[in-house]
Amino acid sequence: MITFGIVISLIFFLARSAGTDPFERYLSEDPRIPPDQIQRLRHRFGLDKPLWMQYLDFIRNTLRGEFGYSLYYHMPVFDKVMQVMPYTLFLLSISIVLSTIVSFVLGVFFAWKRGTGVDIYGTNICMFIRSTPHFWLGMILLLVFAYYIPKFPLFGALTPGLQHANAFDFIRDLLWHSTLPLTTLLVRQIGMYVLYMRNATVEVFGEDYMLTAKAKGVPVRSIMFKHAARNAMLPMVTVTALRFGFMVNGAILTETVFSFPGTGRLIYLAIMNDDFFLLQGAFFIISITVLLANLVADLICGYLDPRIQL
Amino acid sequence: MRMRVNQLMGAAQSFASVYKRNKSGLLGLVILLFFIFTAIFAPFLSPYNPYKRVDRPLLRPSREYLLGTNDIGQDIFSELIYGTRVSLTIGFVAALFTVIIGTLMGVVSGLIGGGVDEILMRFTDVIMILPSIPLLILLMALFGKQSFFIMILAISITGWTGTARLVRSSTLSIKERTYVEAAKAVGAGDRHIIIKHIIPNVSPLIMATMIYAVASAMMAEAGLAFLGLGDPSHKSWGMILHYAETRGGWFANMGNPAWWWIIPPGLCIALTIASLVLIGQTLEEIINPRLRRR
Repeated sequence: MITFGIVISLIFFLARSAGTDPFERYLSEDPRIPPDQIQRLRHRFGLDKPLWMQYLDFIRNTLRGEFGYSLYYHMPVFDKVMQVMPYTLFLLSISIVLSTIVSFVLGVFFAWKRGTGVDIYGTNICMFIRSTPHFWLGMILLLVFAYYIPKFPLFGALTPGLQHANAFDFIRDLLWHSTLPLTTLLVRQIGMYVLYMRNATVEVFGEDYMLTAKAKGVPVRSIMFKHAARNAMLPMVTVTALRFGFMVNGAILTETVFSFPGTGRLIYLAIMNDDFFLLQGAFFIISITVLLANLVADLICGYLDPRIQL
Repeated sequence: MRMRVNQLMGAAQSFASVYKRNKSGLLGLVILLFFIFTAIFAPFLSPYNPYKRVDRPLLRPSREYLLGTNDIGQDIFSELIYGTRVSLTIGFVAALFTVIIGTLMGVVSGLIGGGVDEILMRFTDVIMILPSIPLLILLMALFGKQSFFIMILAISITGWTGTARLVRSSTLSIKERTYVEAAKAVGAGDRHIIIKHIIPNVSPLIMATMIYAVASAMMAEAGLAFLGLGDPSHKSWGMILHYAETRGGWFANMGNPAWWWIIPPGLCIALTIASLVLIGQTLEEIINPRLRRR
């Protein structure tokens, strides 16, 4: 709750401190509009009220889900963002689940093989991958798998103009289009979180109960996944909570490269079209989504480890 | 004074001897120094002026143009060399500001505690959780102008959270140590304690954080530049990729992509950031020997 308050205030403060009001920004240089008209518009939208009243108005409107009007699309920001949101959520949810599973298994594996060639090469490759920008990774994938080996489409989320015969067809088309964007997000995420998982697991290996398990003659696989991985999972869940924001960054860049019609591409187009309200609204809606996801992660964390007080 | 210098020299020597034993740390240092060298001597190294048209557009790499030319006939190799300057400068300067803001926040929060600490840390948490690129885009849009300094400013305003948290937690532990309590008992003020005790003790930590901050500032810069928010008169690696994406790098010659335009800038970004991460890890291991045994 306090967090939401901070975000709302932050946006209001930022928008106001920039010192431009929308009418000045977009209309005052247009000679066809007389100054008193602008004054009337300012009055109508409450921009001549004192700052604190504007602030209250802003909060009230935000709570009502009114984020302003997109100048480029000629529709309310909220509707436009909600229109493209499912695509982003689709990308994010799949890549979060898959990358968590893969980094989990690979991380435990590298930790088990620590010090050997597999571990050293593996961690170094991961390090390089986590240093590549999302958009470049995406461009390389496009270059290889859409141009030189034309297996996947160059852009979009669905084949333009195609009528899907049934839901199954639709899903196949969507998956075909989203393979490369998903791969980009996955590879980048895995590169990052394998290292976390590996280090967390290595730390657990130092614990006494690991030695006990070995001494008891517990099978290797069982030690790895039941004893080590389970205890290393906690820091991973905490990291996952911090990860959502990072994932959104990745989604914006990735969607831009693949022209995937999600929120990220919407933000890119908003920059290109100088659509400030869309940008502001999209930022706000994304922030709320990330905060909610974070709250859920915190709850899961508390469930997994009762020692953590919420 | 003499003793002080000797002490510092000794510390530097033992630091160097530990650092030398770390192969990946050395590799990182070599790569980073290579890029810094390129950045400093850019005018001597680059064969052409990166902002001037030198030949026909979209030429393939040849002996004359090592990495070919772009859509308006500029030499990509020269663009890349000058881009090193822009990318590294933004990275290092933004990281410096980031670390200064973060350290101030952390020290104040840790030392004063109570309500101030609560408020500052709550604020830090929010900024930390929020996705940084949309926040940066919003900031840049608000400033309204695309310039080199605004980019640095925006990155510094959003990037300090990690440093603040780290510095705060180590300030909290240093605050409890006996020598700080002793200093307080003889009447030392907050300013004295911060300058004489806390800053010297957290500075190794700040060094390592600074290196990571450079890496993340460069990543942020690359992302923003790619989205078209860079300064057109200071072409960075990210901006070269932005131009490649928007001005038809994909359909360069008869519908074939200009790979020579797309691959090199990203490779430079990735190598620099990887080298910074390697250096950062080595520093961390030196500061915190517990990590070394792994």
